[in-house]
Amino acid sequence: MSSADPEHREEEEAPAVGDDEDTGAHVAPIVKLEEVAVTTGEEDEDAILDLKSKLYRFDKDGNQWKERGAGTVKFLKHKATGKVRLLMRQSKTLKICANHLILPTMSVQEHAGNEKSCVWHARDFADGELKDELFCIRFPSIENCKSFMETFQEVAESQKAEDEKESADAAGLIEKLSVEEKADAEKKDEEKSEDKTVEKESASGKESKAVEDKKAEEPASSA
Amino acid sequence: MALPNQQTVDYPSFKLVIVGDGGTGKTTFVKRHLTGEFEKKYEPTIGVEVHPLDFFTNCGKIRFYCWDTAGQEKFGGLRDGYYIHGQCAIIMFDVTARLTYKNVPTWHRDLCRVCENIPIVLCGNKVDVKNRQVKAKQVTFHRKKNLQYYEISAKSNYNFEKPFLYLARKLAGDTNLHFVESPALAPPEVQIDLAAQQQHEAELLAAASQPLPDDDDDQFE
Repeated sequence: MSSADPEHREEEEAPAVGDDEDTGAHVAPIVKLEEVAVTTGEEDEDAILDLKSKLYRFDKDGNQWKERGAGTVKFLKHKATGKVRLLMRQSKTLKICANHLILPTMSVQEHAGNEKSCVWHARDFADGELKDELFCIRFPSIENCKSFMETFQEVAESQKAEDEKESADAAGLIEKLSVEEKADAEKKDEEKSEDKTVEKESASGKESKAVEDKKAEEPASSA
Repeated sequence: MALPNQQTVDYPSFKLVIVGDGGTGKTTFVKRHLTGEFEKKYEPTIGVEVHPLDFFTNCGKIRFYCWDTAGQEKFGGLRDGYYIHGQCAIIMFDVTARLTYKNVPTWHRDLCRVCENIPIVLCGNKVDVKNRQVKAKQVTFHRKKNLQYYEISAKSNYNFEKPFLYLARKLAGDTNLHFVESPALAPPEVQIDLAAQQQHEAELLAAASQPLPDDDDDQFE
């Protein structure tokens, strides 16, 4: 350590430290780090909303809102799957505050007494494990809050439409499979037309199997 | 480079010692980074609390083991015993309490007795408060002792990443090192449970009427 510097003996004369100035001592580095490629996890997504905001999570034990971070919230739509997630990062450190899909069943509502805030429930994956959270988000302006809420609802609705399309496709596929099975059954019936007893038993078996298949598929369809 | 009582991770990690008078905001500062919360209530730290704090940089992931020590003498525990094998340090004072700056030389002396030639950041906390007692121009100790100085606010997050970024750059010997996005993994599909959903909606309705913890006129950075 160096001794007192005469130039700085008078406190009143010392300039305020600039952020970029390094007044620290020279120390030998203790690690050698190599530059690595940065993977944000957002490479396959398009941002459809990007706003400054402050996020809170509800602490049930204390029955109060707690700050989670201040930074930027985004809705990110996957280029291939079309699924949309909400991702919020903290300023400066760029750590993740929230990371969850927008599901068809989700909705957002206003926070009582604050026009710039709204609340929702989500199963959050920010920490790398799914966790039920009640979130509140606050924006610098009422307009930004409205924009967020509108986009949230639009995305949830669009995900609902996509889910319904997937269900319809699945139902169509099931129907096609049933028709094919029926055709197969008829063909086999023709082959065994000489033996009526055997024919009757075979037909009955096929019908039972088809019914079972339909019952098995129904829950998936309604999901 | 494994240190006692610390789990080993497969990326670089450092023991960071945080010292300073009681009430200057050491624990609040660490907690702000860990959970995002701003703790208003003052609860003196007893002995030491060690918290791992990870950052993603352009040179990969790094970890600081934050040894948040007692500022009040009566809760000092092993006192400077906590400094052993410290690889970097933060000395915290409160710009609204002149005495906490006057005591910085003592903290620095005790720290340097145990940790020789480590990078140290002096932090003047609570710069969000209007009636500060220690002006920026009055802070000169860092120049005498070759410390880095940052004015910070754990409340407003002003400069709150700077101490860690400075220390990381020093430890790596890389002035271009910077923080980058933590990788955002794709959230897995979730099954919808109607009963649970109804409960969440009820809870949300109740939560929506609870006030937010901070003032509406807070600055957005």
